[in-house]
Amino acid sequence: MILGIDVGGTHTDAVLLDKNGLLAAAKVATVHNDLLSSVRTALAEVIKGHDPTKVKRFNLSTTLCTNAIVQGNLEEVGVLVSAGPGIDPEQFRIGNCYAVIPGGLDHRGTELTPLDLEKAVAQIDQYLERGVRIFSVIGKFSPRNPDHENQLAELLQQKCDFLTLGHNLSGQLNFPRRVATSYYNSAIWPVFNDFANSVADSLEDFGLQPPHVNTLKADGGTMTFSQARQTPVESIFSGPSASVMGIMALCDIKSDAILLDIGGTTTDVAVFADGAPLIEAESIELAHRPTLVRAMKTKSIPLGGDSAVSALHGSVCVGPKRVGPCMAQGGSVPTLVDALNCAKQYDYGKIADSDRGMESLGQELGWSPTQVSWQVIHEFCRVLKQETLDMLGEINERPVYTVHEFLEYRQIVPKRIYLMGGPAKVMAPFVNQAFGIPVVVPDNYAVANALGAALARPTMQAELFADTERRVMNIPVLGINENIGNMYSLDKARNDVVDHLCTYLTNHLDWRVPQSEVEVVEESAMNMVKDVYHVGQDIRVKCQIKPGISPDYQYAVRCLCKEQ
Amino acid sequence: MQRAVNRLGIVFFPAFDWAISPTHPERQERLLYTMDQLKEEGLFDIPGIREYKPDVAEMEDIRRVHFCFPDTASNLTSSHLISAGGTIKAGQLVMEHEEDKTFALVRPPGHHAMKVVHGGRGFCNVNMEAIMVENLRYNYDVGRVAIVDTDCHHGDGTQDVYWHDPDTLYISIHQDGRTLFPGTGFPGELGGPKALGRTVNIPLPPNTSDEGVLYVIENIVLPILEDFKPDLVINSAGQDNHFSDPITNMNVSAQGYARLNQLLNPDIAVLEGGYSIQGALPYVNLGIALAMAGLDYSSVCEPDYDPQAIRQERRITEYIKKMSRAVLDAYFSPPTASMNREMHENYFVRSKEIFYDTSFITERQREFLLDCDHCPGLLRVETSSSKTKNCLGIEIPRQGCERCQAEGARIFEQEKARSKFTNIQFINRVDGTSQRAVAKG
Repeated sequence: MILGIDVGGTHTDAVLLDKNGLLAAAKVATVHNDLLSSVRTALAEVIKGHDPTKVKRFNLSTTLCTNAIVQGNLEEVGVLVSAGPGIDPEQFRIGNCYAVIPGGLDHRGTELTPLDLEKAVAQIDQYLERGVRIFSVIGKFSPRNPDHENQLAELLQQKCDFLTLGHNLSGQLNFPRRVATSYYNSAIWPVFNDFANSVADSLEDFGLQPPHVNTLKADGGTMTFSQARQTPVESIFSGPSASVMGIMALCDIKSDAILLDIGGTTTDVAVFADGAPLIEAESIELAHRPTLVRAMKTKSIPLGGDSAVSALHGSVCVGPKRVGPCMAQGGSVPTLVDALNCAKQYDYGKIADSDRGMESLGQELGWSPTQVSWQVIHEFCRVLKQETLDMLGEINERPVYTVHEFLEYRQIVPKRIYLMGGPAKVMAPFVNQAFGIPVVVPDNYAVANALGAALARPTMQAELFADTERRVMNIPVLGINENIGNMYSLDKARNDVVDHLCTYLTNHLDWRVPQSEVEVVEESAMNMVKDVYHVGQDIRVKCQIKPGISPDYQYAVRCLCKEQ
Repeated sequence: MQRAVNRLGIVFFPAFDWAISPTHPERQERLLYTMDQLKEEGLFDIPGIREYKPDVAEMEDIRRVHFCFPDTASNLTSSHLISAGGTIKAGQLVMEHEEDKTFALVRPPGHHAMKVVHGGRGFCNVNMEAIMVENLRYNYDVGRVAIVDTDCHHGDGTQDVYWHDPDTLYISIHQDGRTLFPGTGFPGELGGPKALGRTVNIPLPPNTSDEGVLYVIENIVLPILEDFKPDLVINSAGQDNHFSDPITNMNVSAQGYARLNQLLNPDIAVLEGGYSIQGALPYVNLGIALAMAGLDYSSVCEPDYDPQAIRQERRITEYIKKMSRAVLDAYFSPPTASMNREMHENYFVRSKEIFYDTSFITERQREFLLDCDHCPGLLRVETSSSKTKNCLGIEIPRQGCERCQAEGARIFEQEKARSKFTNIQFINRVDGTSQRAVAKG
């Protein structure tokens, strides 16, 4: 059995399932200042009447770390950076204990100035004296050569409770993002670590001893709790990924598609290419600081069932403000839900109140209540379509760096829309009309988030860099740093990175993943020339394990999805 | 975190799969380290700076500018069309006010590509700046344009394309042609009879450093721009004046380039040459981008930057000062009387021999410009190369008068019938058309 819990902004959902299908589902209100109690309540409800010892996997998606950052509930972090030529590292200052240690590397990872260890020791002592016990060390170009970060780490050994090394978080080049990501990773560590301990205790209280305890990441993959204790920053913004993974569990998505999740205040959009959700390494911002956390490409449109509708310049305007609930639920301003009620498409709450609201709006514009209701419905769909097309336009404008990629440019053209949320069923025909492509409303979308959390699999990305002139190869996120011969080739690099990734997953996640699951997403081998002589090759391979649904279980839940 | 003062769009297309030949300076690796540096700096995350994907140029964009023989397509690769398209994109972003400034960080380069194209010369096949400017003139209300070329090599291609255009000011700052390819760009090259003074050449002696380049920007370029009052200023931002460049002999630093850009304040910058791909380009491109965005660039220095070591000798400073006075005089009062021009009937005639060092082609050319009182005049070029013999180009300029239009059309029909030329291209900028006639047989 698998148990999945999604702690959302409003509700906490839980599901229990086995290979035959859904066994139980629970929905409880989220208690914001005590997320653990929400987890415990949902857990108690969903496990009722089932044998807790049969739960083999427990997956959790939580807003814990996101909340900690939004509320500024962060631990003081000693941030030590080493930079080199370029933009002044003072520009990237973060937190109250940020110090630039002299020393630097160039873009190939060659040391230009050795690290000033004396200065580093003095700075560390000063921070320790101030009571700082958590550190982050970040070097510019550390994915090319982690040497400076490792030297700083050595100085900190046994002196701190937790340490983040920038190059362990991502192989991607972006120093300011690496600084911010490393800072947040350390700053939320105490909160996450305490929570992880409490969750482990709670599982025991309920008699659960699952061998696999995971948390969901923003890219739709899972990581084990012990991994998450090292990289808690990866658990932020897992909410949208839970719902995307849920839809993937419920529906067999194969082509380019979009997911629209119509909520009260917003509609969240996600995009699928050939059935796989689009993921971006550069999408998450925390307190206006861009990070390297990989996340589902999603967009939140300020348009939902409770968006206020009003008259503007002789026409109707939907959103962007939300003014309480719809009138059918006792609100004071008409909303999309009221328009649907009045147009006799929906039967939600007090219809008479909806009619009253649409009548007064109609009077303002000189239209009948029915006319104005239909206008609202069409305007909602029009804006929804426009915003979605804007998002697709941006995705389809992503930069490319080779002639080949330019000529073979793969545009994303959605063939199908998956619609979720309160008014999804009612809105389906209108969304279909507006977009001109088939719309699917999965039956059990109410538990989609928890299902997504339950059935998501691990994801992983690794970049390999090899420089045959310097005779080095490294895979930053796996901590691999090896010497190579001058005959090292792209083929060898491709094999190496896939091998190392699979070994890592086996050792750290107990997940024996077939090599065919590892997808090479980018690779290049460029000759390096000095004067007119060939001196070596610059080889780069980026590979990943895409987010997916546990194959053993996907058929158990897929029957819940019906095409409309 | 800092925010850009000027909204800056960067069209980045490093063409990682295109090279002239494997060890050629213009090879796949050229912008690899620049990309790494810009990404690692988080340049595209700075609020107000945005990266764009290039567009691809249409054949029409090339045909509007160049006489290509034997035809347009055979002189191009996809990479040229994307590089040109990226440059056009940079222009459009400024014209549409989506960005305050743009930087087309694209390759291959183009400033050695002349009006007539038989092949590649100086690593260039078609002229990116000219293709952009003429696209913008076709689609938007763009009148006067200034192109300031700060590549170390004289931009003889751009000079040639605009030699007869009084609305385009071309200023080139470069290492003296007596010491470097292509061997031209002397102060006496001032533009054609109808565009005299619209070409300005500032040759600098070898070992000129930041001081000398910035001196001519402040004392020649800025006063001339002030007088010309262009609608658009374009910088052909070659980076081979750098002290570490392997194929030139100058001493300019990343700081010098950034300061140059700040003083010049161009609307659009377009990458040209620059072949110190590890020691210079990552820092120079970063410096230029920051300067264009109006941001602090003071800490952008090459690892081996030593201002003392590359200080300019005094005699170079003195020489540049003297030359500057002569260049300014030539712009403000061009010596018309002393210019003895060859005439044939009512056409000005210019004869040229051109060597295409990249494609190993030689070309002989005779150019005829109709001496017209109403417009810059009908242009006719008779050209023969070791690759394609007896070709003819006819162009009615943008401002072409009725007489020149009629005369252009007449010559095209006449020559088509005569089949003296194997290949004729007729550009009519008034109608916005380009026609081609190929002799039968």
